[in-house]
Amino acid sequence: MSYRGRGTNASSGMGVAEQSMTTYLELQRKKVHRYVIFKIDEKKKEVVVEKTGGPAESYDDLTASLPENDCRYAVYDYDFVTSENCQKSKIFFIAWSPAVSRIRAKMLYATSKERFRRELAGIHYEIQATDPTEMDLEVLRDRAN
Amino acid sequence: MTQLAETYACVPTTERGRGILISGSPKSNTILYTNGRSVIILNLDNPLDVSVYAEHAYPATVARFSPNCEWIASADVSGAVRIWGTRNEFVLKKEFKVLSGRIDDLQWSPDGMRIVACGEGKGKSFVRAFMWDSGTNVGEFDGHSRRVLSCAFKPTRPFRIVTCGEDFLVNFYEGPPFKFKLSHRDHSNFANCVRFSPDGSKFITVSSDKKGIIYDGKSAEKIGELSSEDGHKGSIYAVSWSPDGKKVLTVSADKSAKIWDISEDGNGKVKKTLTSPGSGGVEDMLVGCLWQNDHLVTVSLAGTISLFSAADLDKAPILLSGHMKNVTSLAILKNDPKVIVSSSYDGLMVKWIPGVGYSGRLQRKDNSQIKCLAAIEEEIVTSGFDNKIWRVSVHGDQCGDADSVDIGTQPKDLSLALLSPEIALVSTDSGVVMLHGTKVVSTINLGFTVTASAIAPDGMEAIIGGQDGKLHIYSITGDTLKEEAVLEKHRGAVSVIRYSPDVSMFASGDLNREVVVWDHVSREVKLKNMLYHTARVNCLAWSPNSSMVATGSLDTCVIIYEVDKPASSRLTIKGAHLGGVYGLAFTDQYSVVSSGEDACVRVWRLTPQS
Repeated sequence: MSYRGRGTNASSGMGVAEQSMTTYLELQRKKVHRYVIFKIDEKKKEVVVEKTGGPAESYDDLTASLPENDCRYAVYDYDFVTSENCQKSKIFFIAWSPAVSRIRAKMLYATSKERFRRELAGIHYEIQATDPTEMDLEVLRDRAN
Repeated sequence: MTQLAETYACVPTTERGRGILISGSPKSNTILYTNGRSVIILNLDNPLDVSVYAEHAYPATVARFSPNCEWIASADVSGAVRIWGTRNEFVLKKEFKVLSGRIDDLQWSPDGMRIVACGEGKGKSFVRAFMWDSGTNVGEFDGHSRRVLSCAFKPTRPFRIVTCGEDFLVNFYEGPPFKFKLSHRDHSNFANCVRFSPDGSKFITVSSDKKGIIYDGKSAEKIGELSSEDGHKGSIYAVSWSPDGKKVLTVSADKSAKIWDISEDGNGKVKKTLTSPGSGGVEDMLVGCLWQNDHLVTVSLAGTISLFSAADLDKAPILLSGHMKNVTSLAILKNDPKVIVSSSYDGLMVKWIPGVGYSGRLQRKDNSQIKCLAAIEEEIVTSGFDNKIWRVSVHGDQCGDADSVDIGTQPKDLSLALLSPEIALVSTDSGVVMLHGTKVVSTINLGFTVTASAIAPDGMEAIIGGQDGKLHIYSITGDTLKEEAVLEKHRGAVSVIRYSPDVSMFASGDLNREVVVWDHVSREVKLKNMLYHTARVNCLAWSPNSSMVATGSLDTCVIIYEVDKPASSRLTIKGAHLGGVYGLAFTDQYSVVSSGEDACVRVWRLTPQS
């Protein structure tokens, strides 16, 4: 399936659905969502939105929503207070690719990531996580400072 | 939060046939010695007060305080010298590559500006003297053709350097810039150690030919020697002057230390011979000595440090000991109030009491190597690299007779059923052996490569972990095992399995850095995602109330998880033991004892997080 280049470019990349773009822009501009989880729909060959979380939800909800055995992309809006006491907010892109997932899934998500990320403008930091310890809240905290 | 409560230090690394050099602080009662890649700073007045500097990349050989006590210069086998501060977290000042081979001795000049280092090298570079902060050479040292074992700086002006070595020569250099002046060939065997008296008027060299020769400090003329009447009967490995310059302490391979009175004309007469109590074997050969203010320190080949009092030479010495090699297992002896037994692979078992420190060595009649250790009440069960399992009963300090049973193949792991310690489960390469007392009850071939095992406290159930990461649960009936379940979660060979004290859970760790806590009854995963180690998990321990699990790994960290909280809320102790953590145990709800490759045992205090 990766060789059919219908409407997609870059090596075996998937297209990006309109809905994914709008949801991301909502997170970025209007702060409607705390996080968005994206999934690759193999039949439509696009990146679609799987789940969103309201502004009241936390990082733990995001980690709980990610499947243990399958890959996903996630965007998380991280709010924190810096050492100079200013409230800041940074957007993290998380490429969730657990070591226990299938090889095919890992390959698919890895090759499509570049193209998808290019569509999302305004990402501050990117994290690649292969197990839950790599996307710990501490990791986000260290990166944001 | 975790805090280091106590460190039970390791002892200096010794080598048969060579002396070791320990040094002391000019101002206080601390001594410096090396073990493996660490430099140990030990307070003689309080042996529990110990700090460890672990920044060398190669085994360290010698370390010395600078005359103003602000810096320590330490050297290692690669020929590098590191100069670091005594305070402030041992901040590094400079590192120099001084020789091309190992450095055997190192001395500061009395003004702290120059350092002379000697050892092995090629051609000219057996000895080098350099400025301490810039590393520029301050002299040329030729005259030796073989390894230079010791060097000394004259403590008063005019500066002189003396070196002595394996070519039997004692060389004298004048400077700075230091140039060869003259050489003596009075010894007929390796000249092991050379030291100036504190006033600089004399220096003494000792050698493997059992002699000690005294020379004038300024002109290097021979003025006398240590009298051979009542002298040493073996190679003399080290010498140390008393602070008043009138006496010297020498130690020798004949297992004794002698104090000599040095008269004005430069001859020495034996004043007293000190022998430390020991079993009289090779390990009592004395290889290092130091006269530190009121303390006379001697180090034996086994690493035992004996402290004599200079004021009262007849008083029995205080003995300090510890491990010299990797401490592979730890166990708590339950009867005494908290006695910790640690064992290293060379067969040494040491007892420690929290708050007091070294409490004695467990002498066994047969000192075979130990790989696994299990202790319960008054009995210790060990397995080594031969095919035997030893059961030793411990009464106070003595070990009773050891009974051994040969099980036919090399044991890989050992566990005791805590409620009926007669039953022991030993796992071997391809199966398990069940022991009742010292009788082999059954040998069962399981068909897969076994890497870890644990037996339930009531002896009714056993869990065996395999190379493929699967945990097999067996129920024990009499002398047969029946497989009940196979649990799959680990992605690497299982390295350790432990039941919780209340038997409601068990935890397993694998070579792939993961630890999993399982519920015993339902055999479901209770706590997972404990993947915070960065290298294989070596050991695991439960807290007495079964609420916390501590894991130790090759990555030198100890991580403590609470079973009721998610794995991400954990306490990490980084750098617990240089080289890897190999033994772990809880002494009470808030204290964890860990041991590792750096031969030290450390006690950590946990303060509960709110």
